[in-house]
Amino acid sequence: MAAVTTGSDEAGSADERPADPRAVRVRLGPASAHAGLEAAVVEPPAIVLAPGTHSGGAPSDEQPTPSGFGQGIAPVTGDGIVLVDGRPLAGRLVRHGAGRATLALGTGTGGARHRVLLGPQQADPSGAVRREVVVDGWLVQVELESERRAALRARAGRERGDAEGNGPAEVRAIIPGAVISVAVAAGDEVTAGQELLVVEAMKMQNELRAPRAGRIARVAVAPGQKIELGDVLVVLE
Amino acid sequence: MATSRSEPHPSLHKDGPAAEPEWAARPPFRRVLIANRGEIAVRIIRACRDLGMETIAVYSDADAGAAHVRLADMAVRLGPAPPAESYLRTDAVVDAAVQAGAQAIHPGYGFLAERAAFARAVEAAGLVFVGPSVAAIDALGDKLHARRLARDAGVPVVPGTLDPVPVERPDQVEAIVAQAEAIGFPLLVKAAAGGGGRGMRRVTAASDLPAALAAGSHEAASAFGDGSVYLEREIEPARHIEVQLLGDVHGTVVAIGERDCSLQRRHQKLVEEAPAPGLTADERRHLHAMAVKVASAAGLQNAATAEFLRSPDGSFHFLEVNTRLQVEHGVTELVGDIDIVREQFFLAAGAPLSPAALAAAARAADPAGHAIEVRISAEDPGRDFAPTPGLVTRWHLPSGPGVRVDTAIEPGDRVPAAYDNLIAKVMVHAGDRAAAIDRLVRVLDELEVGGIQTTLPFHRFVARHAGFRAARLSTGWVGEHWDGAAEYRSAARAAQLATGMAALADGFGLDGGSGSRRPVDPRSPGRRWFLDGLERTLDRWPR
Repeated sequence: MAAVTTGSDEAGSADERPADPRAVRVRLGPASAHAGLEAAVVEPPAIVLAPGTHSGGAPSDEQPTPSGFGQGIAPVTGDGIVLVDGRPLAGRLVRHGAGRATLALGTGTGGARHRVLLGPQQADPSGAVRREVVVDGWLVQVELESERRAALRARAGRERGDAEGNGPAEVRAIIPGAVISVAVAAGDEVTAGQELLVVEAMKMQNELRAPRAGRIARVAVAPGQKIELGDVLVVLE
Repeated sequence: MATSRSEPHPSLHKDGPAAEPEWAARPPFRRVLIANRGEIAVRIIRACRDLGMETIAVYSDADAGAAHVRLADMAVRLGPAPPAESYLRTDAVVDAAVQAGAQAIHPGYGFLAERAAFARAVEAAGLVFVGPSVAAIDALGDKLHARRLARDAGVPVVPGTLDPVPVERPDQVEAIVAQAEAIGFPLLVKAAAGGGGRGMRRVTAASDLPAALAAGSHEAASAFGDGSVYLEREIEPARHIEVQLLGDVHGTVVAIGERDCSLQRRHQKLVEEAPAPGLTADERRHLHAMAVKVASAAGLQNAATAEFLRSPDGSFHFLEVNTRLQVEHGVTELVGDIDIVREQFFLAAGAPLSPAALAAAARAADPAGHAIEVRISAEDPGRDFAPTPGLVTRWHLPSGPGVRVDTAIEPGDRVPAAYDNLIAKVMVHAGDRAAAIDRLVRVLDELEVGGIQTTLPFHRFVARHAGFRAARLSTGWVGEHWDGAAEYRSAARAAQLATGMAALADGFGLDGGSGSRRPVDPRSPGRRWFLDGLERTLDRWPR
């Protein structure tokens, strides 16, 4: 897989590289963000896909192949090649209809076949498009927008000073339940992994921990309080 | 209170086995209330309908549009969503049965199934409780009493205490620690009044024991209304093997097969199979005999399951008896060619063990065929199996030879947060274990779920894992082999690729804007998904 570039790494590159107007940037949607310590580790960075030009000796073949899982009809992409972060991808997406698709990565028998379900697209107020995608049973919320627009937004964000990933961190409830105890208060300095509060849900107790080091900006709940899925519990500066 | 018991079955006037064919000729009851919800309520309703019995469902507000309500002949509302205000209300359930003219109540599993007080109330109302007797539920529901019973019957138990630990007595701390040290660390603090991992704490050093006792006792009190806890040595690695028992009014108890449920996480079962792999016929006979001994000592009737741990040296240790139908009963049904719920109804009506039950018991030591069940739950295996209630937008079940799916979910259903997360039991049955696993891989490829995260990716991983195929099972398996975060990461990357490639193919970025606004042409194959997707997201039950 190509060396990954994230939005924040492209210092001025939107001007220097000839950007393909058809390129799309794909990242995980906010609903995919995992609460807790693993959040920064779990999310794969955004990728940029662009159609490549077909040249002789390219890995794709244009011969029609039988349909079905593992075989595939001719790829739906226009030129047959896709560039991921600038590098050609050995793989194709085969659509079977009704939202079903097969993502074939790698070539021949060494490759992997993934069952894909593409959900309906929803336009985001910010202009990105959200889509629920299921890969081999994993539900992933994906956001995509044209690369040009995404790069412009990233530059504008940097000029304002709020680079991705260092803003306030919200610790949200991932299951409904009730707060048993709160171990911190606004103004406390905490280390990554430090226990913030204990929640009881489904008759079991869960300790929620700081996703990174920082200062507590706000504690939004108190012991005894009932919480719903998604409720903000603690905000870290 | 008016009694509504049906007149005694004609066979009760005759004696014993000669009357057997008569039993099957008539439904054991005329009308039954199913005191449960979800997949098990559907399962029981189906058995009732197979037998020609009328069914009464009960439901909370969260389940008003649920499958079990629709499938029953009548339905009675119990109350708002929280179990304490609905499915756990003994008074409301019994009243519903009496008002609707039921003769029997089947409790399913969980909820009131193992509450002796509920069984008592059912019988006091003149109805039949489809399950073991009140006395057996009392005797075996107290895990410590069950351990003492087993020990007295000459069945080896997991080493540990046989009386509740006096948690409230600070002067007893030294004695408790001494007991713990005699058992050996690491050990488990367990609830005497119930299971499922609640009230359980693992202790590795004596210094952690007081805190573990306090926490375990508090959780047990919250879950079961009884904070009694006891100590048990941890057997690790262990295999969890349980025996399915059936008993009749004449005192005959048989074992119709065993199951291996070693793949667990926090003492919640994930995968179960029948028979337990790697046992010889003699070992099975021995295990079944031990289970029958404990059950007979408790006077067990109807259906129950005796759980054992098998330590690495091959010896079996009695854990507890569950006096109810279990979630995983289906794999025993597939291998034993028997309908356990049907048997439960006949046994509850006073029938002797049926020819089918006796035949299954005779074959149990040397079973033919193999069955595996995976529990599809609304939980995220990439985030420590955190619950994922929500709207199921896509739901496509596998079918074909050797497949059985027990579920109450349909596309457009909402999985409520208030109840257990299990939404479907996917079972496969084949001639041997290898064929069953191959079939499981095929079946899990066919299963499609959209809208909520489920445990499906975990089960796909298990089905393909070489260690699982080689039957290297233990209760520690999941912790050792499953890295949810890493699996999620690679799937998320694939999702990004798939989404981007689909977007390029649709000409996403062509207008430089934020989305494809091109009109959807229903005739073109690539566009049909859009319309299907809209149909599937229709919410059948608005919150």
